[in-house]
Amino acid sequence: MSEVINVTAGTEAILTLGTTAAMAEPLGTNGMIIPLMQDVTINASPGIVRYSVLDNPSSKAFTTVNENSVSGNMLLDEDTFFGPAAAGGLNTIADAGLFKTSTDKTEIFFSIAFQGSDSGDHYIAGKGFISGLAPTASMDAAIWLTPIEIVVNGELSKLTK
Amino acid sequence: MSIRTLILQQLANTLANGGVASTDYSLEATELPWTASGEPLYVKNMRVVYVSDEEEAKIQLYRTLDQGDVYQTDTMVQAFLTEDAKNINANNPTVIENMLNAKSVVNTANGYNVQIAESGYEQEIEGDTITYTFEYTFTTI
Repeated sequence: MSEVINVTAGTEAILTLGTTAAMAEPLGTNGMIIPLMQDVTINASPGIVRYSVLDNPSSKAFTTVNENSVSGNMLLDEDTFFGPAAAGGLNTIADAGLFKTSTDKTEIFFSIAFQGSDSGDHYIAGKGFISGLAPTASMDAAIWLTPIEIVVNGELSKLTK
Repeated sequence: MSIRTLILQQLANTLANGGVASTDYSLEATELPWTASGEPLYVKNMRVVYVSDEEEAKIQLYRTLDQGDVYQTDTMVQAFLTEDAKNINANNPTVIENMLNAKSVVNTANGYNVQIAESGYEQEIEGDTITYTFEYTFTTI
């Protein structure tokens, strides 16, 4: 039986960052849960090259490397973006904040929970670099908003809690 | 402090200080613009400014996946002033200008993050009276 994954409870789609794969698991110890995400998108795209041959009227294709990324939009939270006033010392990404982690080009581990963080729940994990931060403020928006992208270094993994 | 209270405080100032208090004009500081014997008090008591209670609506401005949602509050307050249409007081333009500018008292210093603050008025002549109905609208985050 098909079953949609409802994310309206507020505890389903969760982006977590960590300095290790274990830390970055959903509800991983000292993991940095990114708050105030408006949306999150996982892009898992195999590179494809199309070519034509003389004896076939349709194009053919072969795959190249996967190009993976995670993107989203968020309301800008001060501690998340700039790091807290007093560093906790347990997660250097959380201590530095998203902006410095991005400008320092620090590699991060991440996970995106699909169904929350209960046993058996699915999530996708990987590692990469924070990119695409572009904070924007306007009177119409009333608050700071920013897109965020994680350029994945390597493959995405399908995992369960 | 409520938006109505802030507007009342501002209008309670003298004409020279951005309010309406003067020899010819005054402010009803407590009563709402209720109706007595079928006639609104602001018609019965000319040149007395009455301020209505607030109308408020909370609207979801942003939705987030963790339910850390951001709301905006739309607030509307009305104020009423009636004059003798046959004999408009010389201070009438100043009173109207001060009443329009009273919106500025709703600000960050008074505890409101204001995105939009607007004021305007309509006028209606009935018999020998002219009634100004002011409308203040605020969008706060």
